[in-house]
Amino acid sequence: MAYLKKSIWMTIVYCVILITGCAPYLENNEIEEIAPVIFWSLDAAEEGKLEATTVVPPLVQEKKRILTMQVDLLKQSGKGFNLRYYRELKVGQLRVLLINEELAKKGLRPIINTIFTDPDISQRLYLVIVQGDVKDYIKEEIESQENLDYFLYRMLKHYERKRQGQLSIVNLHQFMQKLYSPFSDPILPVFKAENGNFNYEGTAIFQNDKLISVVTDSDDEIYQLIGNDYYLKYLPIPKLSVVLGHVRTNVDVTFNRDFTEMNFKVELKGRIDEYQGEKNLNDLDDLAEITNEINSHLETQTKAFLQKNQEWQTDPLDIGARTLTPFSRPIEKKEWREKWRNLQIKVKYQMDLEPLINIQE
Amino acid sequence: MTSISIENNTSSFNGIYVFFIANRLQLLYFLYVMPTVLTHPYMIWGIILVGIFSQLNLILLSKWLSSEHASKGYPGFVHLFGQWMMRVFAAVGIVVIGIKVTVVTLGYVEIIHQFVFPSMNPNWLIVFIMAVCCYTASLGMGNAIRFSVIAFLCSIWMILLFYTFFMPPIASLPDLYPLIPEDWSNISWKGLLLIWSSLSGPEYIVCIAHLLNPRGSFLKYFTFANTLSVLEYLVLFIASLFFFGSKFLSLSKFPIVTMARYLQSPIFERVDIILICLNIFNLVFGVSIFLLCFYGALRILGKKLQTNHSKWGIQIICIIASVWLIAANKWIWREEHQSLLLNLEIWGSSLTYLLVPLFLLIFSRKKRGL
Repeated sequence: MAYLKKSIWMTIVYCVILITGCAPYLENNEIEEIAPVIFWSLDAAEEGKLEATTVVPPLVQEKKRILTMQVDLLKQSGKGFNLRYYRELKVGQLRVLLINEELAKKGLRPIINTIFTDPDISQRLYLVIVQGDVKDYIKEEIESQENLDYFLYRMLKHYERKRQGQLSIVNLHQFMQKLYSPFSDPILPVFKAENGNFNYEGTAIFQNDKLISVVTDSDDEIYQLIGNDYYLKYLPIPKLSVVLGHVRTNVDVTFNRDFTEMNFKVELKGRIDEYQGEKNLNDLDDLAEITNEINSHLETQTKAFLQKNQEWQTDPLDIGARTLTPFSRPIEKKEWREKWRNLQIKVKYQMDLEPLINIQE
Repeated sequence: MTSISIENNTSSFNGIYVFFIANRLQLLYFLYVMPTVLTHPYMIWGIILVGIFSQLNLILLSKWLSSEHASKGYPGFVHLFGQWMMRVFAAVGIVVIGIKVTVVTLGYVEIIHQFVFPSMNPNWLIVFIMAVCCYTASLGMGNAIRFSVIAFLCSIWMILLFYTFFMPPIASLPDLYPLIPEDWSNISWKGLLLIWSSLSGPEYIVCIAHLLNPRGSFLKYFTFANTLSVLEYLVLFIASLFFFGSKFLSLSKFPIVTMARYLQSPIFERVDIILICLNIFNLVFGVSIFLLCFYGALRILGKKLQTNHSKWGIQIICIIASVWLIAANKWIWREEHQSLLLNLEIWGSSLTYLLVPLFLLIFSRKKRGL
């Protein structure tokens, strides 16, 4: 009897709570009513406005359409998209944020801060810089390629997880960490949208939150070798008609006492995958000569890359953090920037190359 | 319906319960904000140092617990301090416990509101949490003590998930440098105080001393509990240094939750939601123990300890506490007052942790001397 009384009471209480309409949940999360978006693309529009683009619906058997809005503030676009589409757009599954190069040159801090503080958006959101017009590219491709947005996410995910060192993959957290670190500057991967292609171009180097320069081709390869993943599957050097394969590096940086000189030592291991030059790989003297040529080529390239960074006053390699030691006073940010600009750089490569030979001549 | 005795004197608890209670009470809300305050890598030594001090404090506490006064319960206290003093202590205790419950509950509600249910009215969260606490508390002190095992088992394994932050590429050693402060004036005393107040909590075992096995030696269990807490602090602090870096860490409001959000699982997208929700067990355990102590203190104040407690006492206290928490959330848990309340709590629990064992020992020595 007591239980009956109890349960009747409980039922009444629940009913009162539910009927009065002060239900605790205000947002609708029914899967049929929402459209989680995977990517957002931001462009600079006229008069300092932003142009936001997204594709709906994701991963549903329904014809995709592209939504674009011009807004003053980033979150306005979220609101605007909602009012234009019959389902509610949710950013909880936002995986990729494409940012136009021009916009990045003006400084990313306000945009990134807005996204970073949103608890719905994952810290693992990939950030990508885009050259060219993404909107046009999507418009063209959306007809022929289903799940365009999802493919892009999968590709970035693949390169991040396997750490193949072919491209720089950066997520929101990594970007923020580098942005607020006193000793380093953020980087982002750059893709180019053009003629129905979406290609990896190189690495964008930032000074604070402003894009300063994009390094491409051989410079980007050098960066991948000495700063990012320390691994490249292929390192082609067309000037010497040689392709190095499975290149692995180990970087050691030392400074002199008053930080006026830096010794940048790179241990490089790999094999000669292809050689189309005049020399004979079977001949030990020739091989030593080839190795020497590669060595000096890489040294010049690396030194040039580092000097470019000194010129731009950027430090994407976290070299500043290498000045820290457990038991000494850390160098001030301003002081380090000054020192970095005037640092004498000495680059030395230590090669361990194995030629691929199968035919004895 | 059988009425449940709130203070069941028949069963006595082993030392192992002391371990669970002490450890879980040391890992309440402040765990979530501690790295933001500590920030500098050399505060690793701060955690270790304060942990050692805490151990010394616990030695005093365990000494008192094995004394004859402890096993007597309230009469023992009256014998030590006298009736009048006891009522003063109870009044102080009410204020301290009130602040502690407020900070701990509202802090968790803020985390849940921010990360799990952003669109939900926080008052509902307070009501739900307090309803559960009320239920646990109304089952009596004995069951609340047993609940510490559940609280422990539900939340201890979470620390293992943080191993990913010790792996490259997230972890790079320069994030831990410099390991000694370049300037001693730079040491944040506030940080050390925060560690001390986060390690507080075991002093509440004094209130349940009469329920513990009188022949037990508790020092061993206190040592395990304290060491485990310090280790957990260290793991979380070093992980957050690796994850954020010293500079960025100071900008994050809830670094531990942010780190949990970065965890990935192939099954669940939002691991942090599960972690936050499971931590409720710990919160409920802590709050229900505090509510029972609060109730006890009120009864001492009202000279009602000898009479049988009414069935509704603890329920009424829970309702009052819920109303107070909703009001506090509306008016006090705001920018400037929030830090005031946090400071009060930090100072309050630091002082109780420091003074309770000291007072008890001094007074019992004095009594013996007389």
